[in-house]
Amino acid sequence: MKKTKKNWLEWVVFALGLILVSVTLGYLIYAGATMGHEAPSIEVRLGTPERRQFNFLVPVTVINHGDETAEGVRIEVVIDNGGASKERAELDVAFLPRHATREGWVTFEQDPGAAQLKARVLGYQRP
Amino acid sequence: MFSLPLLYTREVWWAGFIAHPYRLLGYVLATFVLLLGYNRYAGLRRDSTTIEVAIDSIEEMGLGIILGGLVLFLLGRFTFDMALMEIIGIVVVGAMTVAIGVSIGTAQLGASGKEDEGLGRTSAKNEINFAAQLVFALCGAFLFAANIAPTEEVVVIAIALSWAKLMGLAIFSLLIAFLILHYSDFKGASDFVRADHPVIILLGTIVTYAVALGSSALVLWFFGRFEGVALYTALAQTVVLGVPATLGASAGRLLLQ
Repeated sequence: MKKTKKNWLEWVVFALGLILVSVTLGYLIYAGATMGHEAPSIEVRLGTPERRQFNFLVPVTVINHGDETAEGVRIEVVIDNGGASKERAELDVAFLPRHATREGWVTFEQDPGAAQLKARVLGYQRP
Repeated sequence: MFSLPLLYTREVWWAGFIAHPYRLLGYVLATFVLLLGYNRYAGLRRDSTTIEVAIDSIEEMGLGIILGGLVLFLLGRFTFDMALMEIIGIVVVGAMTVAIGVSIGTAQLGASGKEDEGLGRTSAKNEINFAAQLVFALCGAFLFAANIAPTEEVVVIAIALSWAKLMGLAIFSLLIAFLILHYSDFKGASDFVRADHPVIILLGTIVTYAVALGSSALVLWFFGRFEGVALYTALAQTVVLGVPATLGASAGRLLLQ
């Protein structure tokens, strides 16, 4: 370490460092240049309901297509079987970064199988 | 060692994906400039040429990215099925302070002994001028401020504090700066810091505090703490963070060389 000449290990570290730093900088410039200012636009996808011991599980996938991060995303899923005996469930996602995907579940007591499931995003804030 | 607390802080991970890529870019560039400055005056070798300084800085950046990335990955902060921008953001924010930590670590622990004493004491020491002191102070302040700035507590304190207590904090900071720099008189830690004239001591104290406030404001801005707050709250946050930053700045001027 104390020699004025560098040894091979230092050169390897330098080469690696140079690559990592330039890739990071390049990517950040690219990402900054291509990124717009579109507000979070959130898509909710529902999976197939599964029966569990105590309830019914519905997988939820939340995707942010916008260019900004959303905080405190609240999602509502409702069983819509023609007006009678509606049941609703909620899911909160703490942070949904730009172009990111998060997964979770909502639970129901009644079998949502036959009925139609409706999902929507209630709201979210700018972090 | 110096930067590990940062990797264990939630707000730091969040800053990675909340910040705009250009802000991250600015963070990387600012860190690089700081590393250049630090390595110029206190790097692995004191007799470094400009190119060697640049090479060292890039090495440390690389180490920072590797180490920071590895630790964050092991902590489960990102998985490879996440969006690339998210991963890069999280790693970059962590890696930059790790890079400064690596830089200070190697300079302090690696190059102990005769190099420090030999070259450092004689001609090179005299060249450690105002700019060097400023760089050391900046490094120290940045390191301390960056460890605390992302936490929610700074805002909480800043909102709750009364005007009088803020003034108290500011005076307390100045006192810290004065005492640490003045204490070095007895130790004779540095030729520059040892000032005979009270005006120079006063000037040094004020410059140290100014550096501390400046780096506090910069780091707070980076972590998005100035967005949507009144000017007074922003100022209050800077003063609150200024206390640890002053400690870092004055300690930096003494310890980091």
